Amino acid sequence: MSARQAPALPTRNRKSTMAQQPETRISATTPRLDVAHLAKTYGSGEKSHTVIEDLTFTVDAGEVVCIVGPSGVGKTTLLKCLAGLHPASSGRAAIDGRTISGPPPEMALVFQDYNRSLMPWLTVRKNLVLPLRHLKLPAAELKERCDSALAAVALSHADNQYPWQLSGGMQQRVAIARALAYRPEILIMDEPFASVDAQTRFDLEDLCLKIRKDFNMTILVVTHDIDEAVYLADRVVVLGSRPARVLKVVDVDLPVPRDQITTRSLPEFARQRTEVLSLIKRPA
Amino acid sequence: MRNVAVRNWVIGAGTPVLLLAAWWFLSANSADPFFPPLETILIRFQELWLFDHFQSDVLLSLGNLFLGFAIAAVAGVVLGFVTALVPPARWMIDPLIHFLRGIPPVALVPIFISLIGFGTQMRVTSIALAALFPTMIATVDGIRSVSNDLMDVARVYRLSRKERVLNVLLPAAMPQIFSGLQVSLQVAFIVMIASEMLGSSQGIGAMTLLAQQSFMTADMWAGILLLGVIGFLVNILFSLLKRKVLSWYIGSRRMARAA
Amino acid sequence: MKESIRPSAFSALGIAGALVIWQVLAAANVAGNALPSATTVFATLATILGTGTFWSALGATLGIAMLALAIAALAGVVLGLLIGSFESVRYATLAVLEFLKPVPPIVILPLAVLVLGPTAEMALFLVVFGCLLPIVMQTVDGVQGTDPVARDTARSYGMGEGEILARVVLPSAMPYIGTAMRVAAPAALVVTVVAGLLGGGPGLGQSIYQAQAAGDYASLYGLVIVLGVLGLLFQGATRLAERRVLHWHESYREVVP
Repeated sequence: MSARQAPALPTRNRKSTMAQQPETRISATTPRLDVAHLAKTYGSGEKSHTVIEDLTFTVDAGEVVCIVGPSGVGKTTLLKCLAGLHPASSGRAAIDGRTISGPPPEMALVFQDYNRSLMPWLTVRKNLVLPLRHLKLPAAELKERCDSALAAVALSHADNQYPWQLSGGMQQRVAIARALAYRPEILIMDEPFASVDAQTRFDLEDLCLKIRKDFNMTILVVTHDIDEAVYLADRVVVLGSRPARVLKVVDVDLPVPRDQITTRSLPEFARQRTEVLSLIKRPA
Repeated sequence: MRNVAVRNWVIGAGTPVLLLAAWWFLSANSADPFFPPLETILIRFQELWLFDHFQSDVLLSLGNLFLGFAIAAVAGVVLGFVTALVPPARWMIDPLIHFLRGIPPVALVPIFISLIGFGTQMRVTSIALAALFPTMIATVDGIRSVSNDLMDVARVYRLSRKERVLNVLLPAAMPQIFSGLQVSLQVAFIVMIASEMLGSSQGIGAMTLLAQQSFMTADMWAGILLLGVIGFLVNILFSLLKRKVLSWYIGSRRMARAA
Repeated sequence: MKESIRPSAFSALGIAGALVIWQVLAAANVAGNALPSATTVFATLATILGTGTFWSALGATLGIAMLALAIAALAGVVLGLLIGSFESVRYATLAVLEFLKPVPPIVILPLAVLVLGPTAEMALFLVVFGCLLPIVMQTVDGVQGTDPVARDTARSYGMGEGEILARVVLPSAMPYIGTAMRVAAPAALVVTVVAGLLGGGPGLGQSIYQAQAAGDYASLYGLVIVLGVLGLLFQGATRLAERRVLHWHESYREVVP
């Protein structure tokens, strides 16, 4: 498992949803994910409601970036724009220089509500298979992808059960496994650990870091938990509220591999989380 | 605790037996023309339905019922999907559907008799059209109540339109669709009887009404008994099918309630 | 603005289209005189609406449906409370109720006509038979669904059994009874029409039967249209009444038991 390098993905069709643009040369400095002056306004005229105003940040290949901000700041709206579910009102979000205009093929999203994002009429394995069907994979590869994804989240034993037969933490692991089996290059997670108990939460955080290492994914996590953000991230994007904007991007210089006990007890950890916290607490 | 369970079981199973026994003995020497002895009814039941008219009437009625219901089920689900997914179609059909739904299904039978005549075709058409609406309306409701989260998942993972319809919307709307189908089945059963009573000499409904009109009371009772049993059994069979198809839904509801 | 006009424009288009298709089919004589044109039907309908027979038939239909509904509601709630409150009664009636539940009143129509004749009583009996069971079953469910904590609280306040029934059990069963009434009201209308159409009871059902038997197809279509409008009104009225009575209760029953 650990030997797995960047998964082979070029087979995936990535033409359809990308705006046809002059091919930008991808240099070492082109970020994987580039959000520039992104804004999102719902409605129009007097009733319009600006959720996001002028967001700019980048995520480099192989990075884990966490977005933190007070609840209700519009983090979910941001993710829906990044995932191509909602069009941006102005500005743009781009992958490898190509503007996102529909769900990008190299991206998977883990939703906040695991119990509403899994298909309750499908068993765990069939939930994993559903997004893969249109890729027309050979049966052996399909099975291998599901097996390894389930193994990665330690749910191999549950593949014939229905999601609602599992605990909350296990359901969220199924949602993560579904994303893994899809073999995305970029994984986006929306408050993925918000509704599970504390111990499960630690386990899932470590699972997230393991995925990055094993699958060499670029990961973007939205959370309202500052400790979690600092623990997971290479960089933390701190959002201020209403409408959302970037207060600061904090570089996290904590040693890898991280460990729930030793990392969290480092003085540096405390310093970093205090920095993020004071940014959020400070009156805008 | 166990004693109570046993007692309840005895009461539950015993009462119907007791009622049937009471009917048997109280009617045994009945000379009342309206209420012949149960024994006579059962003998006629056996003679009529199990032998003489099994093929010519019982199978005919059931065939019409299932054919009409099957057409209504398929058409109802398909039309429901079209209506729910194509807004202009919905705006166009909605008022008409609601108006047609307001008409008592049985009142459509005379119209079909005048248009198509008294044959099997009329009966199947009446059944199918009357049973269409409950399924169609339930399908529309079901699709519109599918959560946005599931549709977002389907889009993020780039499911094709066909996959979204067949593998997400259809199963997600299945609980409502099945409720609609169950109502459709009841309507189909009623219209089956009505279409036979109104304009034909064949079928269980026609025979039962004919028996009443010619004062063959035991035959009429036998017909009522058969119709009652069919209504009961058809409903049971459908409930079993529903329980099987929707086992995921029933299970998840039970789980949610226990939590 | 534009958004809200478009749906109603399409609706108007749909209705107009249906009427035009009807008119064209009738003019093309596809079904002979069995399919009168829309204009003929509406003209006939206007004539019918001016006759006393129509209004007395309408009155009979509405009277039977509403009286039967009231009887069924009263008897159904009383029976439901009785069955729901005593376990032994519940078990004793279980099999009979489960057997009768899927049996529509049309099944016993021949018996009712035999015993009562083609009368208003016959129609009344059939409608009560058709509406009673759903109301009983829903009331039983409602009684069963009463929050045991609320019941215990009432008991600890020293309420007697009768008072608990009236103040705790009945109100909490109200949403269930409301659901049953919403289903039963249109059903009452339907069964009244069936009793007239097939059993010769008084009302619009009988009028339809007579129009069909006489080959008066324009009146037949006109009466069916009247029934459609009546059905819509009944559905609307019961929904409104339910909303008014149950304004405090927002939960709706789930679809599958």
